[in-house]
Amino acid sequence: MAGLKRRPGRYESWGLSLLGLGLFLGVWQVLAVGMTAGPQVLPAPLAVIETTRHLLVAPFAGHTLLGHLAASLQRFGLGFGLAALVGVPLGLAMGRFGWLDDLVTPLFEALRFVAPLAWVPFAVLWFGTGIGGPVMVIFAGAFPPCLVNAYRGARQVEARLVEAAQTLGAGPLRIIVEVLLPGALPAIVAGLRVAAGLAWQSLIGAELIVAGAGLGFVMVQAQSSLSPQIVMAAMAAVGLVGMLIDIALRRAEWAIRRQWDQLA
Amino acid sequence: MLVVLGLWWTLTSGCGLIDPNRFPDPAETWAALQQILTPGYAGGTLVQQAWASTRLVLLGFAVAVTTGVPLGALMGLSRRAESLLNPAFLLLRPIPPLAWIPLAVVWLGLGDGAKILVIWIAAFVPCVINTWTGVRGADLTLVAAARVHGADPVRVLLEVILPGALPMIFTGLRLSLQACWTTLVAAELVGTLYGLGRVLDSAYRDVNPAMILVAMVTVGLLGAATTRLIAALERGLTPWQV
Amino acid sequence: MKDIRFDGVGKTFTTRGGAACVVLHDIDLTVQAREFVAVVGPSGSGKTTLLRMAAGLDQPSAGEVRVGGRRVTGPGPDRAVVFQHFALFPWKTVRQNIAFGLRCQGASRARQTVAVDRYLALMGLDDAADRYPSQLSGGMQQRVALARSYAIEPDVLLMDEPFGALDAQTRTVMQEELIRLSRQEPRTVLFITHAVEEAVYLADRVVVLAHDPGRLREIVDIGPTRAAEAWNTRPIHEVMELPSFTHLRTRLWRLLRDQIRPGN
Ligand SMILES: Nc1ncnc2c1ncn2[C@@H]1O[C@H](COP(=O)(O)OP(=O)(O)OP(=O)(O)O)[C@@H](O)[C@H]1O
Ligand SMILES: [Mg+2]
Repeated sequence: MAGLKRRPGRYESWGLSLLGLGLFLGVWQVLAVGMTAGPQVLPAPLAVIETTRHLLVAPFAGHTLLGHLAASLQRFGLGFGLAALVGVPLGLAMGRFGWLDDLVTPLFEALRFVAPLAWVPFAVLWFGTGIGGPVMVIFAGAFPPCLVNAYRGARQVEARLVEAAQTLGAGPLRIIVEVLLPGALPAIVAGLRVAAGLAWQSLIGAELIVAGAGLGFVMVQAQSSLSPQIVMAAMAAVGLVGMLIDIALRRAEWAIRRQWDQLA
Repeated sequence: MLVVLGLWWTLTSGCGLIDPNRFPDPAETWAALQQILTPGYAGGTLVQQAWASTRLVLLGFAVAVTTGVPLGALMGLSRRAESLLNPAFLLLRPIPPLAWIPLAVVWLGLGDGAKILVIWIAAFVPCVINTWTGVRGADLTLVAAARVHGADPVRVLLEVILPGALPMIFTGLRLSLQACWTTLVAAELVGTLYGLGRVLDSAYRDVNPAMILVAMVTVGLLGAATTRLIAALERGLTPWQV
Repeated sequence: MKDIRFDGVGKTFTTRGGAACVVLHDIDLTVQAREFVAVVGPSGSGKTTLLRMAAGLDQPSAGEVRVGGRRVTGPGPDRAVVFQHFALFPWKTVRQNIAFGLRCQGASRARQTVAVDRYLALMGLDDAADRYPSQLSGGMQQRVALARSYAIEPDVLLMDEPFGALDAQTRTVMQEELIRLSRQEPRTVLFITHAVEEAVYLADRVVVLAHDPGRLREIVDIGPTRAAEAWNTRPIHEVMELPSFTHLRTRLWRLLRDQIRPGN
């Protein structure tokens, strides 16, 4: 309870963080060394780093780590881009037209609880295991936040602005592009960030199940050849790239929010 | 509802716009439902398969809540604990829960253990983060007010800080639950003997779109039902919220 | 130039409980082409509703509104609206705000520039052309809103308490400016206000609405006095001290007070 009031000093806080990091890595190392089955079960931190370096040059399951990463990023970009390209305009249009809202919302609500990964069988049946299937699964993961945030953002745009545009002679398309889109932009970017996280996650899931390349594929291959250090190297790559994507979008979100706050 | 059914029928059997090998028509779906209900499919009836999945989700979720919420509360209460635990958290958080599946399989095999581990990981993170944020955002004037009235620290925690953090915690629980279902489906698709993921997998291998649809709808309904449950619980526990 | 005709217009809102609420009842009113008509009335007497029906933003529940002989069914660029809180697009510069209506009409870039420059000069906004609305004072924002409405060269201007959000000094300046503008570019104007002085100073006729349900109480003719004493060419403080002005103002005050405290 004392901690609630008394904040540790800056150095103490840094020290504790370092200690925490050391403890984490230390426990990991000790566990790895101490385990009877040796590196086969839990590889040590250094072993994982070594494996990662090795994978960067030597191909595993057909490509080097960077090659797999490229395959994953391509699917991610396609699925995420498609979700944004369909979800955002549809969400904005639903915010404008009541009939569209009435049409899409029940369908959307019904589909909302289907986990994105449950689309895998249909995705493969419809679009194959190459690019199409995984892209559809990513789409299923990333679409809802794109749609929902664009819709909410559009609903929050002041009615006065829409009416002003109407009385100045703006048609529906112009209202969506020049009034609702900029008005909803902060909400949309926040949605895109969430969507990117879900897209990345669905991508890995999809690649675990169906794919011939990609980080998820590396993991299953390593799993079946019982090489946990490769699994962990791929996990590290997945985590790192996911984090970079998140940081980039977070930056964009902040920048837009700051600018919009100034305008408002 | 009727419109959707009508549209579905028209597009599939009505004028054959959609290839039945790609999307089933209502009759086939009905037949598939009958099949999985009575003789069963992929090693069990629908109820058995659904229960196998739900059990895992509930177990993993329960473990995540009982570990994640106290940890989050600790991190929210004590800056020291926060500093100490944050690095490990920061390192592990960016890794999507699904990416733990292969490792869990290597460690624990294809049984329930691996799945519960992965579900726990998936549900753990939102639990911790939301509890942490909720507790850290505790209204300090309320805390001070309680102290002035002579409340001891435990009472302050139980009667002021936790209730204040409850809405946040429930947001975390809802996110957790969704993550549980997503992870479970993925884990079961990667490999399992029972469960809805197994049904999906078998139906996909048998090119049986009707059965795929039945399994998907079941997963969706179960997800919706458990989410409703959480929402009801939240309403019960935070009656002051509108 | 078009006129505005309200023919037996009534408006009834159904509240969420299902109860009907009569806001306007049997309004017959004609605003002649190039005439400036001000509407005063107690709060809630349906002034805004009246204006919104002329704009096509609300539909009458009884009777009809005709502008230039054509029945109003929706918003259109022949009727520009100036809103109380300006309703400028926060993400567009002053120039872009003023040009918006012209772009909606598909005006050429050259024509847009000419028109925008003209209104910027007319409103004394040259220095602010590339600023965003949030960087302007309230008075300047209202000038932009006026310029934006005038720029589409509408036949009819509908203003809902356009100066209501301004401080007293700015308000006076804007009133003089509006007089100057309507001398240079006469339009058919329906002007809603709370302030009796403003109505007398600006309008050819002042319509007084009664409360609950909103209906026509009286129409006071200002035009003949205004023309005889050449108000339009004199500064506002001078006009306000004329005996004829104070007389008209007192008369309107009495009418309004009777609305607010019936039986008095
Ligand atoms: N969309 C609506 N739904 C239900 N009732 C409404 C709606 N719009 C207006 N009203 C009601 O109609 C009445 C008149 O509203 P209106 O805004 O026209 O009054 P007003 O004369 O402009 O008032 P003020 O001077 O305060 O601006 C009010 O009692 C208001 O509650
Ligand atoms: Mg009003």
